[in-house]
Amino acid sequence: MTKELTVMMLTWEFPPRIIGGISPHVYYLSRNLAKNGVKVYVVTCDFPGAPQYEVVDGVEVFRVDSYKNPSPDFASWVYLMNVNMQKEAAALINGLGGNVDIFHAHDWLVANAGIGLKHVFRKPLLTTIHSTEIGRRNGIHFDYERMIHETEAWLTYEAWRVICCSDYMVSHVKWAFGLPADKLVMIPNGVDAEVYTRIEQENLSSFRSKFALPEEKIVLFVGRLVYEKGVHVLVNAVPKVLEKVNAKFIIVGNGYMKEQLSNIVKNMGLARKVHFTGFVDDETLRKLQKCADVSVVPSLFEPFGIVAIEAMAAKSPVVVSDTGGLSEIVEHEVTGIKVYPNNPDSLAWGIAKVLLDENYANLIKANAYKKVQEKYNWNKIAQQTKANYETVLSEYSKSVWA
Amino acid sequence: MCAFHVVKTMYIIIFSWEYPPRVVGQLANYVREVAVHLTKNNIKTTVVTYHDFLTGEYEETEGIKVYRVTNPVHTHIGVLTWVLTLNQEVERAAANIYYNLHKQVDLIDVHDWHFIPAAVTLKKALNLPFIFSVESLEEHRSHGADLPFNMAIKSLEWLGMYEAAKLIVKSEWMRDEVFRLYKVPLEKIKVIPPKSPNWFRNILETYKSVAGGEAPND
Repeated sequence: MTKELTVMMLTWEFPPRIIGGISPHVYYLSRNLAKNGVKVYVVTCDFPGAPQYEVVDGVEVFRVDSYKNPSPDFASWVYLMNVNMQKEAAALINGLGGNVDIFHAHDWLVANAGIGLKHVFRKPLLTTIHSTEIGRRNGIHFDYERMIHETEAWLTYEAWRVICCSDYMVSHVKWAFGLPADKLVMIPNGVDAEVYTRIEQENLSSFRSKFALPEEKIVLFVGRLVYEKGVHVLVNAVPKVLEKVNAKFIIVGNGYMKEQLSNIVKNMGLARKVHFTGFVDDETLRKLQKCADVSVVPSLFEPFGIVAIEAMAAKSPVVVSDTGGLSEIVEHEVTGIKVYPNNPDSLAWGIAKVLLDENYANLIKANAYKKVQEKYNWNKIAQQTKANYETVLSEYSKSVWA
Repeated sequence: MCAFHVVKTMYIIIFSWEYPPRVVGQLANYVREVAVHLTKNNIKTTVVTYHDFLTGEYEETEGIKVYRVTNPVHTHIGVLTWVLTLNQEVERAAANIYYNLHKQVDLIDVHDWHFIPAAVTLKKALNLPFIFSVESLEEHRSHGADLPFNMAIKSLEWLGMYEAAKLIVKSEWMRDEVFRLYKVPLEKIKVIPPKSPNWFRNILETYKSVAGGEAPND
């Protein structure tokens, strides 16, 4: 191919709009694809104060008015947003003379737009499935959930390739939607280790003193306070850890379980040992990750577990539940500790083990940091993604659409 | 005018959520009658419609090509989400027709709000103009209800009226309602009552004004 490979990313979130893991994923993937000679357009939802159009690190970003249509519920909002997203994307591509080679859609939230653009422009569609409804809800129980589940199935059906970020998600997605194995590709999620090395030079002790006493070890949880993240398991493990070691538990994030959890903590008489910070800005989060004597990821369902590789990049030892993507990220007693999911005793054991043995903690965090640089490196991930685009395009060139 | 002008064949796609044998209201038979007249006048006509078990059926009756699509998502929480996923199949069918006809399609005639989103994307992507033929409005169907559900449908009606090249309405009353509710410029609205004399001729003239093609003599 003589002209540069052009891809249009469709995503419902892109910085500064950050709702979950898709936003940083698409941000890092796009800028590293651009570094590797891929022309990237990102079409995403608007955000207060963010421009309709901007160029971010060589990536052209278009933000669509996503609250144009009144909506009775979240799913209807998603489908209506897709009407506007594909309308704007279609006009943009038309203006470019149809010059887009591939559409890359992230999750069911942009399924309609991706599928529609594929057919009107007759270009291949790839999708990354970050998470599934059946996994999030631990089964399909209501029509609302089934509608989303079927939309996800439809997206994977229409896609030329389905990318998942872990071997666990590959097998989960294959099972959930009955996909052929050769349609699935595993490309891991990444982490930008540089954002933590930049902090290294600064003196963190005054920052740390805002959260914990010098004699308290910091146990950090980062995530939405929802059932699937297993934060209730951590709360139940708190007294068990405190029997062995003096620690402060810092819980970062918001969610529907927050009030319930903080009441439980109060009733246990441990309010001064467990601090709920709510949502914090990036800088505070990164500093907390650097200060953490142990980072805990007690999820019950975790397609990937980006917060674990962030902790590893921040050189904080990790204790994770042995489930989903976390099982693959962490090698037990080498790059972290794996504990039984939904088991406070096991979790407390893991946390105490790291906190009570400094040499051991140093060893696993050094191994973990090495692993992050080898495997979860965005530049490598972008190159793997680009190679997949090229494979798809060579298959496409032999198709009736070419 | 030049007496030797070349009569170019017109290619039309019609979108309607009901078409015989699926008859929900008055629209199905009206759309069929338009399609029959178009075909008789040598206008290539393809209807894209919904049917749950004649899906994938491609039928050619009375010279009219009919494509029937079904919803790729079977489970829904209401008519709004149902329509919005079904639109993608309508859009896919129309794109296939467009490419199979070597991009020779002149315009799409969209009956009611259901398939407006597909028509809008096709317009933006492929420069295919569309006409919005208004049978009824959400304002009257829901007796002025303004819940988010109704407002969502109204916002799609608004989108259709804004993006359409022309509107065809079936009475002067409806023209006034469209103007009152959506502030559509009156010169964009054609009033063509279904049983009126020359109704078909007027539809053809409206098509012609949008497609820039020539309507054949009859």
